[in-house]
Amino acid sequence: MIQEIVEIAVVTEASWGIGAALAMALARKGVVVAGLARELFLPEHDRILPVAVDVRDAADVTRAFDEIRTTVGTPTILINNSETYPDRDILDETPESFMDTVRTNLGGAFNCCHAVLPHMVAAGRGRIINVVTFADVRPMPLAAGYAVSKGALRILTRALVADLGDRFPEIVVNDWVPGTHQPRKGIPDGVDPRIAAEWGARLALIRSPEINGLVFLRDQEHRPPRTLKGRVKDRFLGQRRAQVRLG
Amino acid sequence: MMAGSDAASGLVTVAEAKARHWDVIVIGTGIGGGFAGRRLAELGLSVLFVEKGPVGHRSEGQFLSDELEDYIARQSRGFWPTKIETRIDGGRIDRFYGPLGSGVGGSSVFYAAAAERPERHDLESSDDLPHPSGGWPVGYDDFQPYYDHAARLLSVRGDADPLSKLAAPSLAPPPLTPAEAALFEDLRRAGLHPYRAHEALRRVPGCTDCLGRKCPHPCKMDGRSAGVEPALETGKAALLADCTVEELLEAGGRIAALRVRAEGQGHELRADIIVLAAGALHSPGLLLRSQGTHAAGCGNSSGWVGRGLMFHLNEMVAVWPRRGSPAVGATRSISFRDLYVQGGQRLGLVQSMGVGADSGRIAAHLKGIIARSALRRLPGIGKAATVVARAGAAVFGQATVFVGILEDLADPENRVRPHPDDPEVPQIDYRIPDELRVRRSLFRRSFRRRLGKHRMLFLTFSPTLNFGHPCGTLRFGRDPATSVLDPDCKAHDLDNLYVADASFMPSSMGVNPSLTIAANALRVADGIAGRLKRDTRLAG
Repeated sequence: MIQEIVEIAVVTEASWGIGAALAMALARKGVVVAGLARELFLPEHDRILPVAVDVRDAADVTRAFDEIRTTVGTPTILINNSETYPDRDILDETPESFMDTVRTNLGGAFNCCHAVLPHMVAAGRGRIINVVTFADVRPMPLAAGYAVSKGALRILTRALVADLGDRFPEIVVNDWVPGTHQPRKGIPDGVDPRIAAEWGARLALIRSPEINGLVFLRDQEHRPPRTLKGRVKDRFLGQRRAQVRLG
Repeated sequence: MMAGSDAASGLVTVAEAKARHWDVIVIGTGIGGGFAGRRLAELGLSVLFVEKGPVGHRSEGQFLSDELEDYIARQSRGFWPTKIETRIDGGRIDRFYGPLGSGVGGSSVFYAAAAERPERHDLESSDDLPHPSGGWPVGYDDFQPYYDHAARLLSVRGDADPLSKLAAPSLAPPPLTPAEAALFEDLRRAGLHPYRAHEALRRVPGCTDCLGRKCPHPCKMDGRSAGVEPALETGKAALLADCTVEELLEAGGRIAALRVRAEGQGHELRADIIVLAAGALHSPGLLLRSQGTHAAGCGNSSGWVGRGLMFHLNEMVAVWPRRGSPAVGATRSISFRDLYVQGGQRLGLVQSMGVGADSGRIAAHLKGIIARSALRRLPGIGKAATVVARAGAAVFGQATVFVGILEDLADPENRVRPHPDDPEVPQIDYRIPDELRVRRSLFRRSFRRRLGKHRMLFLTFSPTLNFGHPCGTLRFGRDPATSVLDPDCKAHDLDNLYVADASFMPSSMGVNPSLTIAANALRVADGIAGRLKRDTRLAG
């Protein structure tokens, strides 16, 4: 009676970097992947279907997801990885340039959520991962649009959990910080995307409602720092929980 | 993303509902409305369900929450959107979220699937146990075929109770786990007669015991899955959701129309017969608010509308396994009726609750007790409760929580009215009768004697009303002076108004009400169908 569920993933900005590596890692695990990109690209695996779309354009996203559903099936996993990092001084930002960054980094993710959610709700299950950074915690110079929109994306994750978590516990949503630092310059400790993608693919295949809403950093659950007193209290009140690891 | 009007699914808009003539409109889609509507549709009548709440999504699995505050968020989850207001023993007025649903399936989509059958003495007087109401106007033998029918529709499974000699459900329960079997043996050694609780779960693959939450599978049998959905499948029934009935418009001794609010506007709906099934807290409210013809409310010549309100008293007790026995923790599989009647007094059924007494559960419960007591002002008392509970759990291991359902008896002063400022808020005035306190002490003494005081802990200290089991507010009877409904559950005062929810019960019985509500709804539906057939024959 128990049916084998075929996972169908959508990865945005799958033509290069961590997106391409994620698509590849998932395809190797037997997942059918629709790789979204601004322009068609040559996939590295025959389970990856390239789809050209501008995620800023809601109508174009609707069309792309219709195409995905008719060609490979209804997506069960969505990885919102599309982002732009313009490196622009706030004095040089125009209302148009600022909002364009928001349209990609936040709007693109929401457009894709909007396209998959009705089907995930109908199935009662689904997986959404928003690829984020901690850029919002302490914005760097030249990162206004980026930090604001990526920070808002983290709020979108929490808002999705607030609206859906109790009703559809098997629609599991997470933030993931891959640690690859691909779009940024001058940060020396970026992880090789192929390694990070392996963690991300594992995270995408965890279905447990218990991890709903958790933030993952590289290969493990990221928790806000606890004070010593807090840690003692957690232990005493029996509120300690093992950290979830992907490695 | 929201389900809309769709002929194939049976959903209709208010415009479509107005444009058609209906044999019957059913107000409310809980277990009573759902079962009445299903039966009526299966008998070939055209039925419109009118539901205040939303259709929702079939894959939802939320637990009923008493913490979520936002009106719209509550409504979209199928929770009753407002708080209820209570005044107990004339004390302070409390407002809190009751365990009430508002959506397709009503409160029943959140119930724990208990489908226990009452005993003969719950409905009738016997030589050694006179019935407090003198007996229901319809006897046990007349209810029997409807209980059988309701049990079939609810896929009830379980074992025969060795004490009451009631027939076993036709479906066998799932096998016991070794720990549950050990607990059964343990209870037997204590001289009790446990049996497999009667539950309305189909146990399909993937069943996760949806107790207290919406079931995302066609598994838990409730007003939605065993009522509205099969009714819509007949093609004879339709569902108008997100539609509030505000008033019954009376003319010439019958309900001429319903004044409803849907899509932000007022409308009128009409049918030959109206079946009221908004639940025992809301059905009387609708009658009391319908004052177009009588200031005291529609169908209220007796003055009993909203009166005779009963709840069960929950007596919760944690029972720890015998030394060396495995811990069972949460299980819903055990009932026993050894305390059902003691010393000529009506007490009730005891069943395992489906929640474990792990430390978090006990702590939450202790905190709840503290929050209602004078201790609440002590700083740090909540944490102390947690620590006490944690220490308890460490010492005792996982306990199983049992709940005794103590029968409540009708008192005309215990009543529900719609709140004058907000008709969505039921205003409950309830005094715990002295005789109920006496029976409660007897219940607790019996628990202690039978379970052994060293392995059990009462989790209820003061009388705890089960707000999920309201009933009795439109009692049926033969005398129009002391009852609202006649034996067919038709209003004495009105020719075409019937009631199919828990309001009809003149006594609350010693078991969960669901099976009885379902059985009575089938009986009411048969009465309506028979009458319409007669009317048609006479007209033809």
